[in-house]
Amino acid sequence: MAAQPASTVPTISPAEMQILISRAGLVLNPGQMADLVLAWRQVAGLIASIPQERKLADDMALTFRLPSPKAAITAARAATKAPAKEAPHAASKAVARKAPHAAPKPAAKPARKGKSAAAPAKAKTKRKAPARRSASRGR
Amino acid sequence: MTGAAAPSLSIAEASRLIAAKKLSPVELTRTILARIAAVDPQLNAFLLVTERQALADARAAERAIAAGRRGPMLGIPVAYKDIYETASVRTTAHSRILADNVPSEDAETVRRLHDAGAVMLGKLATHEFAIGGPAFDLPWPPARNPWDTRRFTGGSSSGSGAAVAAGLALGALGSDTGGSIRLPAAYCGIAGLKPTPGLVSRRGVIPLAPSLDTAGPMAWTAQDCAILLDALAGHDPLDPASVPGPAMSYASGLDAPLKGVRIGLLRRFYEHDVPGSPEILQMMTRAAATFRNLGCRVEEASLPSVQEYNAVGRVIISAEAYALHEATLKARLSDFSRVFRVRVLAGALIRAADYITAQRRRTDLIAETAHAFERFDVLIAPPTAGAAPLLTEQRPDDGFSRPMMTTVANVAAIPSLVVCGGFTATGLPLGLEIMGPAWGDAMVLRVGHQFEQAAGLRGRRPTL
Repeated sequence: MAAQPASTVPTISPAEMQILISRAGLVLNPGQMADLVLAWRQVAGLIASIPQERKLADDMALTFRLPSPKAAITAARAATKAPAKEAPHAASKAVARKAPHAAPKPAAKPARKGKSAAAPAKAKTKRKAPARRSASRGR
Repeated sequence: MTGAAAPSLSIAEASRLIAAKKLSPVELTRTILARIAAVDPQLNAFLLVTERQALADARAAERAIAAGRRGPMLGIPVAYKDIYETASVRTTAHSRILADNVPSEDAETVRRLHDAGAVMLGKLATHEFAIGGPAFDLPWPPARNPWDTRRFTGGSSSGSGAAVAAGLALGALGSDTGGSIRLPAAYCGIAGLKPTPGLVSRRGVIPLAPSLDTAGPMAWTAQDCAILLDALAGHDPLDPASVPGPAMSYASGLDAPLKGVRIGLLRRFYEHDVPGSPEILQMMTRAAATFRNLGCRVEEASLPSVQEYNAVGRVIISAEAYALHEATLKARLSDFSRVFRVRVLAGALIRAADYITAQRRRTDLIAETAHAFERFDVLIAPPTAGAAPLLTEQRPDDGFSRPMMTTVANVAAIPSLVVCGGFTATGLPLGLEIMGPAWGDAMVLRVGHQFEQAAGLRGRRPTL
């Protein structure tokens, strides 16, 4: 479908905006309200620019379906003439499973939890290292 | 080899040295950690450095190597955008809202990289919930560009771009809803891949707009992105958007000749829709010549306007992001950054009919983009109109007011790779975007890799 000319951007009065905001359940201070008005003007313009004229029968589903990945993979292999190879991620998993963090250790406390909340500067973790994985090893 | 040169190694180079036992994962990790300590205070790329975890991972990798195991990611230090959940390690999404959030499980992608033997260095800066930034009213400052610390990294995978460019990680994970992997890749002079939707699991990655979100790799080169993708890709039955399909290697076949590959130049995008700077125009001319020298057929291609893709993408993002955050916005509005509020609150006013109209138009755009790939194997364009702007030039409403060329690939549901395409006269990197048809991830990586080889731009690193 070719691009259709954008319809005009709808104007909105402060009173109408207040109704919309109330309808949305938002409580905004004047600064936040000003920010929302600024953003809404932009979004309303974008909405207005999207073509709306189309046959009703065109919309069989609001979804899209990509082609099967198999065709692309076959084409890529043919193009590169590379021999089919076992999934490398599967292979490396098999290799690595025996390696890091073989022995689960007790779960650690969150990394500098208290400090990050109180003093939100960059935190360097102090917790016991390998413990991180203990929670996820069982999968 | 000692670890001293480690920060300038690619994943492929480090992997070869590790496999040959010429570089120790522990030594490599120590060197990178020392560089993070020395350099990151200028960049703010890391929100959290998991030093002990990194050294434990590296020692485990070293033991595995001593036991005869091999793998391209074994002992490679990586870091994660702080929207990737990490078991027992704080995951904040760069937001006060999640300042104390400690997940109990790893994101599926983090788990896969861990299983491949990668070393986790820590968690990286982002825009608040992958949209609200750069912001100066959050607990952590925004990341800065290693090529010029006054400048923007691009976002939202801002820390990922800065860390990889500065040699603070050999690879990183980012996420991309409208360009969030590829914009930092462009501004920071690295490679970043937004894969085909469904190829990489998003389970455990804090969402922004689920119908557009993708997770993907960022690294110094396209080859490194392919190595990372080999570890990341594959069906995840617990991610409803994940697509089952046969596994393949993205890193093998990168050097297959490009002779005869059909490249479409999206000239109207950067000459009309989002006019590029003179240096961007020159870069595109040079890129076209480089591809011709590689034996490719380069012709002009056409797609609907960038503005059309952007209108659809921004309406969908605003509506879905607001829906995800509505309850928290109502309860803790002032705890969000101003940039987040500006970019997300307007979603409260989008009508259901408007959202559905955007989704309907998206199906058209997907079909029209797919049609273009009947004539071309890949399409190229610059991801940005110029080099990285100053941080102070960023506006809260940028996402609405300035259309982004990167959003085309999100709306069209296609893979897209950004590689370094050149430099400005002042030494700032410029990106080149390579888009392929759905499931053409291997092709865009191959084209990107060979462009990098031919252009010879990967020897230049930021000076810090």
